[in-house]
Amino acid sequence: MIDAFLFIGLPYIALIVATIGCVRRARFSKFSMSARSSQFLEDRQLLWGSAPWHIGIMGVLAGHGIALLLPQVWSYILTVPPAMYLIETVGVACSLLALAGLSTLIYRRLTSARIQAVTTTSDLLVVALLFLQVLVGLLSAVSFRYGSAWSTATVVPYFWSLLALQPDMSYVSGFPMLFKLHLIGGWLFVLLLPFTRLIHILAVPFQYLWRAPQLVIWNTTRRRKQALAASIRAESRREFIKGAAGVTGATGLLALGVSSKAINFFKGASQDPEAESALLEKKLQRLKLTAEERSYELERQRNTMILVAGYAELDAVKGKYFIDYAMAPGLAFKGKDGMPIVISAKCTHLGCTVSSTLDENGRIMCPCHISYFDILTGMPNPGAPAKAPLPQIAWALVDAGGKVLASNTPGQASGKVAAPEALAQSSLYITKPGKTAA
Amino acid sequence: MDVRAHVSVIFHLDKCIGCHTCSVACKNVWTDRPGAEYMWWNNVETKPGTGYPTRWEDQQKFNGGWQWDGAGKLRTRCQSKADSYLKLFYNPNQPNLDDYYEPFTYKYDDLFTAKLSDDQPTAVPISLITGEPIEIKSGPNWDDDLSGSPIYAENDLNLDKLTEEERNQLFEVERLTMFYLPRICNHCANPTCVAGCPSGAIYKRGEDGIVLINQEKCRGWRACVAACPYKKIYYNWKTGKSEKCVLCFPRLETGQPPACFHSCVGRIRYMGVMLYDADRVPDAMKVPDRALVESQRMAFLDPNDPQVIAAARKNGISEEFLDSAKNSPAWKYIMEWKLALPLHIEYRTMPMLFYVPPLLPVMGKSSNGTYNHDAKDFFTSLDQSRLPLKYLASLFSAGNVDIIEAVMRKLMAVRYFKRWQSVRDMDENDVNKILREARTTPEEVEQIYAMTAIPTHFQRFVLPPLQREEAIESSCSPEACKGCTGFSLEPTFHPRA
Repeated sequence: MIDAFLFIGLPYIALIVATIGCVRRARFSKFSMSARSSQFLEDRQLLWGSAPWHIGIMGVLAGHGIALLLPQVWSYILTVPPAMYLIETVGVACSLLALAGLSTLIYRRLTSARIQAVTTTSDLLVVALLFLQVLVGLLSAVSFRYGSAWSTATVVPYFWSLLALQPDMSYVSGFPMLFKLHLIGGWLFVLLLPFTRLIHILAVPFQYLWRAPQLVIWNTTRRRKQALAASIRAESRREFIKGAAGVTGATGLLALGVSSKAINFFKGASQDPEAESALLEKKLQRLKLTAEERSYELERQRNTMILVAGYAELDAVKGKYFIDYAMAPGLAFKGKDGMPIVISAKCTHLGCTVSSTLDENGRIMCPCHISYFDILTGMPNPGAPAKAPLPQIAWALVDAGGKVLASNTPGQASGKVAAPEALAQSSLYITKPGKTAA
Repeated sequence: MDVRAHVSVIFHLDKCIGCHTCSVACKNVWTDRPGAEYMWWNNVETKPGTGYPTRWEDQQKFNGGWQWDGAGKLRTRCQSKADSYLKLFYNPNQPNLDDYYEPFTYKYDDLFTAKLSDDQPTAVPISLITGEPIEIKSGPNWDDDLSGSPIYAENDLNLDKLTEEERNQLFEVERLTMFYLPRICNHCANPTCVAGCPSGAIYKRGEDGIVLINQEKCRGWRACVAACPYKKIYYNWKTGKSEKCVLCFPRLETGQPPACFHSCVGRIRYMGVMLYDADRVPDAMKVPDRALVESQRMAFLDPNDPQVIAAARKNGISEEFLDSAKNSPAWKYIMEWKLALPLHIEYRTMPMLFYVPPLLPVMGKSSNGTYNHDAKDFFTSLDQSRLPLKYLASLFSAGNVDIIEAVMRKLMAVRYFKRWQSVRDMDENDVNKILREARTTPEEVEQIYAMTAIPTHFQRFVLPPLQREEAIESSCSPEACKGCTGFSLEPTFHPRA
């Protein structure tokens, strides 16, 4: 419940309030839109505070922004290991820079009498929250390694599910506390944007890049019109021609690109048959995958038992992957006593799929952050990033006649146990949680 | 030809007595507010001296104005477009409070609430920013009248142009001299503050050329403070916005001269319309330093030239404006008599405020207790003047001494001629020789004399009607606006008596 508020309610409240608030402030309270610089009152410490803080935080935000807005590009870059190491290093360096700058700024704000004369309660709140937010962000980046990679697969879809008005907090509800705090903090800053000095983020003067150096405003309507005519005649003719040439050039290039497509369209010409069939095949493949997934879902809704594998297929070292009732991966092994061991393969740390091969200590490993899980107990090794054990999954061994030979429901005592020779012909099923094998 | 009108200003420095009445009038009208206490939109400096803010002329430090490398475009010295974005966070060119002074008041209450004691109660000075008691270490006119002082006057940058000997002489007690330099915003024709503003909040009014900051568009990036070479834009530390002299446009619009002009005790201030060719502005300042003054003069247009008048009408300049341009004291001082010169034109902003350089400190060299003037060569004192012309040239003509000398000769000729008229202690031939050498005529001298010594209010201030009613019309109904603008639409002062 509280999670639903923090990860669905809060974001929507923040986004709505921020949108309305920022528009209101920009339209009706223009005078209050200012960076409220205090360089005039104190400029030595400011240099060592403001510059590193802004450069650092812009670096960090740029990373967040690219990941959120261009996840495909981002994850493509991350597939190149050196690029990922570089991004992680730059990210940590930037947040350290930002923290150092912010510490200087906080120290300056608390110690300089002149600065205190222009400090409001909201300024103090903002700097304190900023400090915590960056600190929590940095700590989660350091304690859960390769955040640039795993967050792209979790936070980004969560973010887009919010934007698409189909909020899905399952991506993030399993997160560790530290990272949840960072997420909540992020929404909090969206909420604070229109009410604090943070509004200056929206005042970045991009138009300065292309505006003419001199600005003349005419007050009387008559002269304003005349001035416009005169300025087109004389002063800005050159600029106008330059602009027009640019627009014409760009339009030309665009037209060139569009025209080839357009010609193809009208000619009705097809691509070459090979490419076309390849495309068709790809589409079919995608449809098949979707159908398969849907059929799994349907199967899991209808059936109380799902076939995993024949008993003979189970192996003591190499686990057999299957999909459990929660549509998450699971693993089945043959135990020393000949009974199956069925365990979830979704890492309890950040949800990666655990590898299927047992090591010499009888453990399976999560490749994302190197947690080792004992398959008998599900427990992770001490000091692993994952803290919770992998849950056991209810199973049943059923022979060809549909008779349950053996079953196991986690948390309950084992069911019937059959003789080994009978087992050889049986098959392993998982059973629906809450329902015992019939 | 793109004819534009500009409300232009002349300060006659020979008449300035350094009373600071202008500064106080301005302070009372505009900057008596929290955050603006330290702002002196109008201030009066003693020259030689360091000015306000201290050593504002030091562009090595403050990087104001335009830079021209002999070819190509003018560039703002303080920033390029790219690095202006980095300077949003910390602007290395911005002066801080200590370059100005910490504004202060006194704890007057203590005088009334002090307990009975043997000692007189005192009102301690407190900072207007922190409210804490402070030791007053500087003020807006801290070096007032301190010419010759090794702490203040010696740091005047314009003295750098002088030789060691000239400098030393200037600081001998017998040769001490000074004059006053009142400064307001120059309302430049090619302002760096406008070009430097990232938000596009600063603009020039088309009708009269007044440079204003739109307080609603200003985002407090402070680039203008650094960009203005005259340091005439001030950052309000309380509101987080920049502010500057508005040339009292609400007064101008109702036919009154600005507060500092109106209150001027020495009547040194003149205001009138100048017509200029906006097409020439972008290139006018792309000439070597020596030629800058003349190049700026070339951009001005003769209000009596029929071609100019026709082009001005086509550009929408009203008849009333053209009339006041014809009677403009600014046109006379700048173009007819060529007496008024811009301050530090080498910053290349085309300032539209002009100064008639002071003659008195130049002339007043004495030998053996008498003022020296030689009937055979009346202008020799210029070469051995008490205040070297090089110093004035550094201020008013970008180092071109010839221009200063021409102005000085004319100013001296006016004095010789008027003295001769009433005292008759010279030969008429000598007087005529003086006039010839100063390239002037008795008629011109009479005109200069009349405009300098005995002008009426309406000769000093030839204000065009700024058609406030039309200006308001563009945004809302004049009737509806009457209340919210705070100024009556009825003219309280008739422009021409």
